[in-house]
Amino acid sequence: MNKDELLNALENSIIMGHLDADDEGYDGTMEGTPGTLEYTEQALEEGVEPQKILELFGRAMEEVGKLFETDEYNLPDMLASAECVGEAMDILEPKLQAGSSSQKGKFLIATVKGDLHDIGKNIVATMIKGAGYQVKDLGIDVPAGDILQSIRDFKPDFVGLSALLTTTMIEMEQVVKMIKDEGFSDIKVFIGGAPTSKKFATKIGADYYCRDVMDAIHILEKLREAS
Amino acid sequence: MIIPDAQQLKLLAPSEMRLIHAGALRLLSQVGVKVSHEGIAEKLVSRGAQQKGNRIFINKNMVDSALAETAKTIQFDAPDPAYGFTLNTSENQVKFGTGGQALYIVHPDGNGWSKRPAVSDDLKKILSLCDQLKNVDFVTRPVECDVPEDQMDVEKAKIFREYCSKPMNVANLVKVEYLDKVLEIIGNPAHVSFVISLVSSPLVLDTAAGEKFVALLEKDLPVAISCCPQGGSTAPFSEVGELLQLHAELMFGFVLANVIRPGAKVLYRGIPITSNLYTDGSPRWCQPDCIRRVAIAAQLCRFYNLPCCGTAGVSDEAEPSAQGLSEKVLSWTYEMASGAQYINSALGMLEQVMSVSYYQYVIDDIALGIVKDNFKADQSGEISKIAKTATLEALSHFGVAADEKVEAEIDARIRHIENALEPYDEEYIDKQLAVIEKAVNQSGGSTVFMKSARKGLREGYIYRGNRIDAPLNLTAVNKRLENIDGLTKF
Ligand code: B12
Repeated sequence: MNKDELLNALENSIIMGHLDADDEGYDGTMEGTPGTLEYTEQALEEGVEPQKILELFGRAMEEVGKLFETDEYNLPDMLASAECVGEAMDILEPKLQAGSSSQKGKFLIATVKGDLHDIGKNIVATMIKGAGYQVKDLGIDVPAGDILQSIRDFKPDFVGLSALLTTTMIEMEQVVKMIKDEGFSDIKVFIGGAPTSKKFATKIGADYYCRDVMDAIHILEKLREAS
Repeated sequence: MIIPDAQQLKLLAPSEMRLIHAGALRLLSQVGVKVSHEGIAEKLVSRGAQQKGNRIFINKNMVDSALAETAKTIQFDAPDPAYGFTLNTSENQVKFGTGGQALYIVHPDGNGWSKRPAVSDDLKKILSLCDQLKNVDFVTRPVECDVPEDQMDVEKAKIFREYCSKPMNVANLVKVEYLDKVLEIIGNPAHVSFVISLVSSPLVLDTAAGEKFVALLEKDLPVAISCCPQGGSTAPFSEVGELLQLHAELMFGFVLANVIRPGAKVLYRGIPITSNLYTDGSPRWCQPDCIRRVAIAAQLCRFYNLPCCGTAGVSDEAEPSAQGLSEKVLSWTYEMASGAQYINSALGMLEQVMSVSYYQYVIDDIALGIVKDNFKADQSGEISKIAKTATLEALSHFGVAADEKVEAEIDARIRHIENALEPYDEEYIDKQLAVIEKAVNQSGGSTVFMKSARKGLREGYIYRGNRIDAPLNLTAVNKRLENIDGLTKF
């Protein structure tokens, strides 16, 4: 396989959401064949510029986005591709030259204390990672103190909070207050989940309410353009 | 109402149900349940469970004892004694109740429907309304109160005490320390029962729920053990895989219940629904794939002679509509024919349990009456016939004339409900058990199941048909509500 063929295979494996040889891929038949992770490593070994690989990731995800919009792809297809990029970024990231870093920003995400709902949060975390952000997912039922500690350690640009219960959404207010009180006022706070709303976000001082994951990605892109 | 044996549908053969049960036992003994609650882990170990780290492994003997010991009759009394009833595992009696903990109230606004957050006053009004509806046999808390968290349980109990004369299911407790107070307000513990979502799928005990479960069973109160995996996100997308996991999680609940209190009054509430992986992952409650899976869960429960709490009639529609009505009728019909005895969430619900509407309670009361009449009139025992006739009749009652397209759509939904798309054999079950085990042991949570759903999605595991769209004539519903003070005002 020459370099062009290799890059084509890499792009294709992302579009097909084929992570690695252990993964069954798009139609359940791809196990045993190399996927995104193997091709990324091979491309780096063969001396392909990391920057070029990064651009390829962007192109592939754009194609996936189009396939989703035209209904050819369903949610799991998009998530699979996003996960391919997310995991391949872990390989690529250390190889990118300082300055040309992929860094679109760091996103810390958690479901707040008392709440175990994570289906929506997991979709958001995977998609944002796939869109090129560095994501740290603290999981479910996370106390405000733990979120704050992670903010100190991980130094995120964005914090995303999820709550699905009327009884736990109140916890978000605590977290936002702690973030502001601790002087992290540059961090943009995103909130989401069924009982939350724009009105609620305003009330508790969160920066953005997101109806769904696409909402979040659009806001992030807008913020990037603005800066 | 009693559903005769001739009208009991068998979507799975006894041998297929035994395979699911055996597969669930393998999950419990080999994959285990994550239990972080030390007291509960100790209790289970003292009765023969094995423990490795925070996983607890349950053996077949423990499940067998739980099946034998669980209470076979449960009495639901009510402030008005005329409404009390007994659930007996050997009888095909079916009772219907409300449900939910919905967040929103959907109401007409002159131009259609709009929604607003539900408040305590809604709880009062819905309870008053349900007291008057013929087909509401018991009342499960439909909405929460808009009071601070630590007042919620007490406020809810006060409203139930004042506005409900039927058997009460207050669903969950927010704070377990208020249990005594709640019982004191209700006045008679025999009037009240609960729902606990005990296990967070896949196979993780919810510690806080476990705490409440212990407190409720120590007081010998009836509890529906609720298990609501979402096929394609918290359980396999495959029907067989989801049922294996669901049944294992519920068997764990029954084992724990009988460890806490031998002969516990616990109900099997299996709600194996699916995630809408065509779009955004939101839950599908009332589509043919879900109706089928939930019906099979009820059949499994009855096969193992356990008290059966069903779920039916939770429409996926955001507002009262012909589509929603058709979903509800099919869902009630198949749940009734599957042996469910205590059907929750059956009236008033919209938008995947997110909303309720006063209008929908009345619509459902009428439509459920139509379904019951069709069961009574049927001589053939063909559930597909009852389902179709009842759907057409309910639509027609609200002014929707069915054309060929509508009939074809109803036929297609019924076909999806009644026919298996996957094999129920040992090899396939092994494959599904491996999917569950992989998800349990891998990080990535719900996206693990989502990604492995791609093949099934292309094979049509979730139904994709046509909508039934037509305006509903709600004149009679309006009149009914006008007679009850305050219910037509937004
Ligand atoms: C699945 C589910 C469960 C599962 C959770 C499984 C899991 N791993 O998540 C189980 C069965 C365990 C469960 C348990 C309970 N649940 Co529940 N559950 C649901 C249900 C049906 C679906 C939620 C869901 O996954 N939606 C699909 C995802 C894709 O959507 P989403 O979460 O909204 O996320 C999207 C957006 O909101 C947004 N978003 C979400 N978070 C974030 C965060 C950020 C940063 C951003 C940018 C965006 C974003 O983007 C996401 C993707 O597009 C809802 C009802 C409903 N229709 O929503 C009830 C619901 C939320 N549950 C409810 C209740 C009451 C409970 C229990 C208390 C039940 C009980 N009686 O014990 C327990 C509580 C457990 C706990 N302590 O948290 C109520 C809450 C009502 C209220 N007034 O608060 C609801 C509304 C159902 C109801 N009406 O009764 N539940």
